Amino acid sequence: MSAASRLALALGILGAVLLVVIALALFVGSAGLSPRAVARALAGRAGAESIESIVTLQLRLPRVVAAVLAGGALAVAGVAFQGLTRNPLAEPAVLGVSSGAAFGVVLAQISGLQLSFLEVLGVATFAFAGALLAAAAVYMIAAVPGGLSIQTLLLAGVIVGIFFTSAITVLISIMDYNRLGGVIYWLLGNLAPIPATSLALFAALALGGSWLILRSARELNLLALGEEAAVQLGVDVTRLKRRVFTAAALLTGSVVAFTGPIGFVGLVVPHVLRGILGQDNRLLVPTALVGGGAFLLAADTLARNIVAPAELSVGVITSFCGAPFFVYLLRTRYRATL
Amino acid sequence: MKPARVAALATLLLLVVSPAAAFTVRDMLGREVTLAAPPQRIVSLVPSVTEIVFALGGEARLVGRTDFCDYPAAAQATPSVGGMVNPNLETLVTLKPDLVFATDEGNREDTVRQLARLRIPVYLVHANRVAETLDLITRVGAMTERQAEVPRVSGEMLRRIEAVRKAVAPFARRRVLYVLWPDPLIVPGRESMLTELIEIAGGASITATDGEAYPRFSLEAAVARAPEVIILADHSTGASTAGRSAPDKWKRLTNVPAVQAGRLYSADLSILHRYGPRVPDGIEMLARFIHPEAFR
Repeated sequence: MSAASRLALALGILGAVLLVVIALALFVGSAGLSPRAVARALAGRAGAESIESIVTLQLRLPRVVAAVLAGGALAVAGVAFQGLTRNPLAEPAVLGVSSGAAFGVVLAQISGLQLSFLEVLGVATFAFAGALLAAAAVYMIAAVPGGLSIQTLLLAGVIVGIFFTSAITVLISIMDYNRLGGVIYWLLGNLAPIPATSLALFAALALGGSWLILRSARELNLLALGEEAAVQLGVDVTRLKRRVFTAAALLTGSVVAFTGPIGFVGLVVPHVLRGILGQDNRLLVPTALVGGGAFLLAADTLARNIVAPAELSVGVITSFCGAPFFVYLLRTRYRATL
Repeated sequence: MKPARVAALATLLLLVVSPAAAFTVRDMLGREVTLAAPPQRIVSLVPSVTEIVFALGGEARLVGRTDFCDYPAAAQATPSVGGMVNPNLETLVTLKPDLVFATDEGNREDTVRQLARLRIPVYLVHANRVAETLDLITRVGAMTERQAEVPRVSGEMLRRIEAVRKAVAPFARRRVLYVLWPDPLIVPGRESMLTELIEIAGGASITATDGEAYPRFSLEAAVARAPEVIILADHSTGASTAGRSAPDKWKRLTNVPAVQAGRLYSADLSILHRYGPRVPDGIEMLARFIHPEAFR
C-alpha cells in the first residue's frame, strides 16, 4: 500500500473511533439526560433555556472540543519531541516542558490575570514562555557535539521538571491557604467547558503548531538517520530543531494554558501509532492529532463518569495509563538503548 | 408594517426585556446581580450560607448544596452538587437554580465564570468579620424573603457574643496560637475572622498582624511569641476528614507557656471557620479554652 493510502485508511479508522468517542461523551453524563433529549438539543430543537440544551451544548460540547484539541496537540508534541531527540521516550511531561508551562500559568494566576479574552492570551503567553524556557534548558543541558544522548536528555528533562515543580512549590507556599485549593485542583490537570472565543484561540494554536510540525515531518524522518546523514541529505538541522522545538513548546504551552498539565498523552498515543504505522512522521503527525484527541476525550469521559456525580481529574487517568506504559517501554523495547 | 402591529410588537418586546419584578442587587464583592424575580431555587456553594438559610427558615427554596454543607443535619437531605472547589456543573444545572451563592474564599473563580456563561446569577459572599457575618445574614434574609427572621437570629447572636465579652472582661488577655494546619504550620492572619473571634473570647492571636487570611508561619516564630494558649483545629469532624489534630507533637515544646500551663486544646474546625449563626458557638468554645476560670 502506498503511504498516501495508508494514511487515508489510518485517518479513516481513527476518525471513526473519534466520532464514536465524541458521541459517547455527548450522550453520557451525570445530568442523566435521555439519548433522545441530547439528540433534540444537538439538532437545535430544544429550547435554548432547556436543561438538555444547556447541558449538551454549553457544558458537554465545549468540553469535548477542548479535550480533542488538547489530546491532539499533546500527541503531536510527543511525536515532535520524539522525532527531534530521536528518543521514543521524549514527551512534554517527561521532558519537563509541561512543568515549565505550568509554572508560567501559576505565575500568571498569582499575578492576578483574570480570564477575559485578552487575558487568556496573557495566560497562554506565560505558558508558552514557560514551555519554551524549559524546552530550551533541556536542550542546552543535553546537547553535546554530535547530537543528544538518550540518557542525558531524559536526565535533563527530569532535572528541569524538578526545577519548575519546585518553583511552583515556592509560589504555592507563599500563597494564601484560601487560594490553595483552586491552584492545586488546576495542577491536577482538568478539562472544563471553555468559552467559544478561548476555544477558537486554542484551536488556532493547536492546529497551527501541528501544521508547523507536519511541514517538518519529512526532515524529521531524515533526522532519524542521524544528524550527519541528515546534513548530507540537505537538511538544515539547526533550523529544523529550532522550528520543531518552538512548535512543540507552543503546543504544550497552549494545552497547559487552556486545560492544565496533563501528562503522558504524548507518550502513549505516538507509541501505539508507531507500532501500527511505522516510523514515518508524515503518517504519525496527522494520525496523532486525531488519535490523541480520541484518547484524551475517552479518558475525560471516564473521568467525568467513573465516580459521578463527583469527577476525577483527567490528568490522573492519563498518568495512571501512561506511567505503567513508560515502565513497560523502558523494561522491554528500550532496554538496550539505555 | 401597520401601526397596530408595531405597537403590539413593542409591547411584546417590552414584556420580554423587562419582566415586571426584575431587580438588581449588589453582592458582597460589589458585583451587580440581576434577577428576574425573588429567587425560588437557590444553590449554595458556601456551607455558611447553607447554615444561614436554614437558621432563617428559608430552606424550602434551597435546592442544592455542597458536600461540605453538613450543618444542620437537615441540610443533608438537600441534593449535593459536589465539592466547593469542583462542583459538578451538570448536576448543578439540572437543579434549575435561579440563584447560586458562592464565595471568593473556597470556590474557584473559574466556577463563577462558568456559571456566568450559563447565565445563572451568582451572588458572591465574603465575610471576615462578625459585622460582615451579620451583614451576610441580612442579605441572605433579603434574597430568601425571610427578612422577618433576621432580627431574631442576629439579636440572639449579638446577645451571646456580648455575654462572652462580659464574662472574659475581668481577665487579662492571653496570647493565643491558633493552628489551622500543623504541618506546614498555617495560622489565621490579619484578614481571618479567627483573629477577631479570639479577641472577643478574651485572647490575642499572636499571628494577628501577619500575612493575609491564612499565611504559612514558622514554628520558631510561633514559639518565640510565647503563646499562653494553643488551639489546634481538629479536621476530623464534619465533612472534612483530613485528620485529627496531633497534640503530642506540641506537648514536646515544654518551654512554651501554653504547654507548661497545660492549655493545649483541640477545636472543631467546622464551627470556627463558618461565618454563620454558629459564630457565637465558636466564640464560647474559644472563651472556655482561653479563660476557663470565667466559666466556673
